[in-house]
Formats: sequence, C-alpha cells, structure tokens
Amino acid sequence: MKSESAPAVYRRARRWVSAVLLLVVSSLAAVGGFNWHVDPFQQYRLASKYPPRFYSLHHRYVGPGLAKNAVYDTVLSGSSIMENTRNGFIGRACGGTAINLSMPAMSAFEQRVMLETALRERPLRRVLMVLDFNQFAGGAEERQEIAGPFPTHLYDRNPFNDVAYLLSGDVLEKSLAIVAGDLSDSSTALRIVRADAKDSFTADPDAPWFWGERKRFARDKVLRDLDLTRLNQRFAQPARALAAMQRSFTHNLAPLFAAHPTVTFDILWPPYSILVWLDFARRDQLDLTLAFKRFVLDATREIPHVRIFDFQAEERITHDLDRYTDIYHFDPAVNEWMIAAACSGTHRVSDEREALAAERQLRSQVDAIRAPEGLAAFISGAARSR
Amino acid sequence: MLFNSYVYLLWFLPVALLVYFLLGRRARWSVVWLVLASLFFYGFWNPHYLPLIVSSIAANFGISLLLRRFPARRMPLLSIGVGGNLTLLGVFKYADFFLDSTAGITGAAPPVLHIVLPLGISFFTFTQIAYLVDVSRGMAKEPSLANYALFVTFFPHLLAGPILHHSEMMPQFASASNKRPHAPHRAAGLFLLAIGLVKKVFLADQLAPLADAGFAQPEQLSLLGAWLAVLAYTLQIYFDFSGYTDMALGAALLFNIRMPPNFDSPYRARNLRDFWLRWHMTLSRFLRDYLYVPLGGNRHGWARTARNVLITFSLGGLWHGAAWTFVVWGMLHGLGVVAVRLWGRTGVRLPYGLAWGLTFLFVMVTWVFFRARTMADALAMLRAMVGLAQAPFRVSDLLALDTSAAISAVVVVAALAIVAAGKNSNALVATFKPDWRTALFTGSALVLAVLQFARVSPFLYFNF
Repeated sequence: MKSESAPAVYRRARRWVSAVLLLVVSSLAAVGGFNWHVDPFQQYRLASKYPPRFYSLHHRYVGPGLAKNAVYDTVLSGSSIMENTRNGFIGRACGGTAINLSMPAMSAFEQRVMLETALRERPLRRVLMVLDFNQFAGGAEERQEIAGPFPTHLYDRNPFNDVAYLLSGDVLEKSLAIVAGDLSDSSTALRIVRADAKDSFTADPDAPWFWGERKRFARDKVLRDLDLTRLNQRFAQPARALAAMQRSFTHNLAPLFAAHPTVTFDILWPPYSILVWLDFARRDQLDLTLAFKRFVLDATREIPHVRIFDFQAEERITHDLDRYTDIYHFDPAVNEWMIAAACSGTHRVSDEREALAAERQLRSQVDAIRAPEGLAAFISGAARSR
Repeated sequence: MLFNSYVYLLWFLPVALLVYFLLGRRARWSVVWLVLASLFFYGFWNPHYLPLIVSSIAANFGISLLLRRFPARRMPLLSIGVGGNLTLLGVFKYADFFLDSTAGITGAAPPVLHIVLPLGISFFTFTQIAYLVDVSRGMAKEPSLANYALFVTFFPHLLAGPILHHSEMMPQFASASNKRPHAPHRAAGLFLLAIGLVKKVFLADQLAPLADAGFAQPEQLSLLGAWLAVLAYTLQIYFDFSGYTDMALGAALLFNIRMPPNFDSPYRARNLRDFWLRWHMTLSRFLRDYLYVPLGGNRHGWARTARNVLITFSLGGLWHGAAWTFVVWGMLHGLGVVAVRLWGRTGVRLPYGLAWGLTFLFVMVTWVFFRARTMADALAMLRAMVGLAQAPFRVSDLLALDTSAAISAVVVVAALAIVAAGKNSNALVATFKPDWRTALFTGSALVLAVLQFARVSPFLYFNF
C-alpha cells in the first residue's frame, strides 16, 4: 500500500481540523441559539413564547431573570418563609407593582446580590426585607452550599459570561422539555405540575414560588415527628457568632441603604413559632439573637429610609401552631398580614424603648415554656385543641 | 483557570493560539506572548500570587547565571537556590502543617497562619530545583530569560504538571519551526484534548459523587459500601489526573510542543515498581534523579537501598499534600516497593493475574490515606473495609446519597473496563488517524463536554 505524501498528510490533517471545528462551532451555536430562544430562566425576556416555568429548586437561577425583565417598583426579599406571597397582594397592600424575589435558605450575601440586581435594573420605591438570623451565619460572603455554586453570571449584564447559561446541558434539557410541551394540560398551568419531581415548577407569574396550597398547616403536622428534646433536628442550624453576624450585616445590607437613599427599606422580623425561640434558648442562642436585633436597630436608627417591623412576639401567631407547617414556616395568610402591617406602618420599632419592650415580651414568652412543665402545658394545650 | 471551563476552551486557548502563530515569524515575540498568556492563565484565579511566581523565576534564572559564571562557588550558590525554593515551598505549603505537628508534640495551641496555597507551587519549585542542579552539574544552560520563563510557566503544565525537564523542553521552545502552524500536530492535539475532557467530565466527575459520599461518612459504611467508595475513588483519581494530563499534552501539542507522558496504564502494573513507572511518571523521574540517586540509590547494599526508597517515597507523599495522611500513603508505597525488591531477590515469579491483583489491591487500599480528610477517617474507612463499621450502611443508601450516584455506579463498571482493557491515551494518539470517525469522536466529545461545564444545581433543601 502506498503511503501518503507529506503534503497530503498536511492537507488531510487540515481538513480534519476544519471539520472538527465546524462541528463544534455549529453544534454549540445551535445549542446556544436554542437556549436563547426558549430561555427557561427568563434571562433575556419574560416567558411569552412558552408558558413560564418557575422551578421550585432553582430560585437562584430564575430570580435574576425576573429581576432583570419584570416590571416592578417594589421588591419582597426573604427566605422560604416568604415564598407564599403573591406579587399582586404586595402591590395592593403597598401600592405599586411588586415582585417576590425570595430564595430558600438565602444567605445575606445572596440577598445582597439579588437586591443589587433589582436596584440596578429598576427604579424602586420600596424593598421589603424579611430577615432570618441564619442568613448572617458564617463568613460575610457566605453562600448556601446546599444550593450548589451560586450562578453569579446570571446576575449581571455581561454578555461574555452568558455562555455558562447558553451552553449549559442542563439548560438545554429544560429548553427541550419546554418545547416538547411538557405542560400536558393547560388547565394545570397555574398549579404545580410535577410536585414530587426534581424539575417541579409552577407556572403562575403572580405566585412564582407559592407552595402553601401543597402543605398542611396544623398543630398535629408541626408536632408529628418533632423531637421535643432536639427542636432544630430538621433544620440544621449553622453555628452563629454575634461578631460574624454583625460583619455580614455591615458588609452585605448596610451598603444598600447607603447607596439608595430614595428607596424605602422595610426590615421585617418574621413570626417564627415560639418553639424556635425555645430552641434558641436551649442552645444558648437567645441572647445572641436578641443582641443582633439590637445591633440592626442601632445600625439603622439614624437612616430615615430604613424602617424595622417586629412580629416575633406576636403571641396570637407564634403560639398558634395551627398556623404552621413546621416550627418555622407559617401559613400564607401570615405573610399577607405581615406585608400589610409593614406597608400600613404598624408593628414598627423605631427606638430602643420599643425594641426593649418587644424583647422583654419575647423573653417572658420563652421563659414560660422553657421549664419542662411549661413546655408540657404548651404541648398538651396544643394536643387538646386538636 | 481550569482546563474544563468555558473561559479556557472558548476564549483563552483560541486567542493564545491565534496570536502565537500570528507572531510566528518573530519567534522571540511568540515566546514572549506565550509567557504573558501563561502568566494571565496563572493569575486568573488569584492575581495576588503573580509576583511570587515572577520573582521565583527571576531569582532562579539569576542564580543559574551566577552558577555558570562562578563555577568555583557552585555549592554555596546551589545551596542558596535550592534552599530558597524549598523555603518558598515550606512557607506556603507546609508552614501550617509543621506548626500543627509541633503543637501536637508539645501540646501547645498551634498558631494558625491560614496561608493560601499558591496554585502549582509544588510544580514550579521542583522544575526550577532540577534546573539549578543540572546547571551546577554543567548539564544545562539557558541564556534566554524568555525561554526560561516559558519553560517554567508554559500554561499547559503550570498547575498540575507534567514536571518538565529542561533538556526535553528548551530545544522545543527555541525552535523557530515550532512557531509555525503544523496541521498534524493540531489534529493530534485536539484529539488528545477531547480524550482528556471525556476522562475528566464523563468518567472522573461522574465517579466523584460516589467517592465523596463514601469518604464523607466512612464510619457508617458497610463492607460493600466501603469497597465501592474506595474503588470509585481509585478510578476517579486516575481518570481525573490522567484526563487533566491528556488535556495538558493536547494543548501543548497545539503549540507544536511535545510534553512527556505522565501515565501509562498504571492499573495494569504487575508490581509496585512497575506501578511507579506508569503513574505520575514525571514525578517518579524527578524523585529518582534528584532525591533517590543523590541519596545513594541502590549502590550501597539492600539496607541503604531500602532506607533511600523509604525516604524518597515519604517525601514524595509529603509533596502531594501537607498532612500526615499523605506521608503515611508515601511510606506505605515505600514499604511496598521495598517488599517488591526483597521478593525479587527470591527469584519466585508470581503468575500475572495474582501479581496484578495484589498490586491493584495494594494501590486501592493505600488510596484511602490519600483521600481521607484525616487519619481517623482513613482508619474508619479501613475498618469499614473489613466489616467493622459501627453502623452498617447499605450500598443502596450510598447510591441514594446523590441523585447522580446511581449513574456513577454504572460508570464504575465502564471505567474498570477501560482501565483493564482499553487503549490508553498514549497508544490512541500514537495510532491516531485523521479520519471521519476520529473527527466525529473529537467533535462530539468537545461539544458534549462543554455542555457539562455549567451545571444547574437543584436546591435540595426543599423538603420541609
């Protein structure tokens, strides 16, 4: 057999390289173009060609798309406890057009990045910030590891890093599923379509993250499987230290207040069930937590466009386990009550005297159930009312 | 910058290549460009360490010039050079380890320095130590700072090797013909790059969840679960490291630079000496030439040979990481190699299957020390591997720990088959033919691998 001449070898190799590059470039361009067209995370436009999908496991991916493309002047930002809040309700209660950009188990850093995106994209009137203590645990730029790497590339307008979105195989899977018309019945479009699947989503732009209709809010539900000796068993609490929490607040949220003096920032302390506070007390976290609340008040007291609302000693909520699905998550009506209260100016804490009064009230509530007999009475009261 | 990232494959590599060959007529500028590109590659992760590598290169090049100019002062100059490199390595890589170990002996609370390890420091210090030693022996001389800087920083090898030897690289960097496009090299380079990506993305990364899940809770593993986790890691580390090396060699070949291979089907070795001739070959070569032989090698009887082997492997273990687990891993391999030498003296030759099985088993079990976070974790894993775990854990539980772990169990079988019977990368590239089949493989592999770079991570907390 005759061997190839050197020029022939070169020609063949050149053709081979060209063919490979053509295959690669055309395939990637096709994938990128398709993902851009379908845009499952609404990064370039709000969903219009296909019914929207608000993936219940991908807030950190869809949220920035909404922040960049929706029309709004009011933002609600909180953790999973605030997901059951409809945009329309916020708008009606607070006046204006609102968007719920909550993220489950959000860290202060993640909240900051999300709010920076919204503040950059839209002229805002009001930001409702519902704060959890855990979001300030860890380092100042802590990210929620359980949610995987934080997709920072989706929060900016830099077209060069969009390749991570446009050329993602996972995004391609979602695009294909959308085009294949996975929504088999349009009547279910406003409901969770595949609640138990990895890819579950809602399709309601007014309540993108709403899960309240799928959970039962009842005392027996809260108390079922609850280990009274380890109240935080299901919600592993990261280690918290006051200095680190203060650093995180100063690093992440305080700069937003300074940079946006025309925006009203309403900080809301949400009403966890009293069992959460009992858990804090048992784990020597109560004093630290209350000290952090005092710190936030001190840090914002002189800023006229930052207001604090405290719902944490509201006994009719926090002691009524029928309003909860677990010790943290309350029913959607509580969300609406909080938002309405904040926007109408009630439950505001504006000075140290009011803060200390609320703190004393909370401490006395915790003391009442801290002793075994107190807890037994609380639980048995709960049991009797079932 | 990672090889398996968009920024590397879609921006950095094409731009670096394009400018390199555009400047090809001015060979010196091509070299300077490649040095700058390599420094950009290095600083992309953390630019704060750029001054460190730049001053390390400048200092070593300066000492090499002094060594050539003042041969009579060879020893003090060499001591300064080698000592400086080892000090750099000691401060940045081993300071916390030594402080912690000292505190463990004295009982005092250790001061923790939290020094961030500069990427690739182990590689660029070893490369330069070897160069200085050879200059002092009169075996090397490089008058061009640009060529020397490229020898140290050339981005395909900068972060994880192979550990280059100046004698095989300097002539290539100096060659003007290497600055001109060479289609057969480009084709073979792309092919090798694709093989590396497949190994990394479709084998190593798929095996990782299984290994990670097992090593995260070794005390809870059943006998079978423990073996599965260790086997997964055994395969993961091979495909990860050899995949990385293939990508490095492939990228270098695109620039017409041939780097030495680092792996040669190590899991087919019939004894531990054979294994170390096939695993991380350039490190083995370095340790042999610059540590084992200077210690005396095998020239002074079996006892001194055994001592030299143990020292070499223990330090080799420590080179891999600043922890006692790595030292133990190295010592075990050293003991294994000594045992092989002693066995060789008996003249008894084991059947291939038995010899291979024992070697693979030994390598696999010793990976436990390499992978475990702590010595306690390593011992817990070993206990689990002999069925002494406190809370037996079913394999099905292990698979359920991560949604992709079931897939990785299937990948274990595929990876084992490849390790046992597949052609390795060296053989594949040696017999590479630019035809439609290799084009289809290369193109598809590149596309599919790129699509895996950015995963959309589900938020699994949603279970309240």
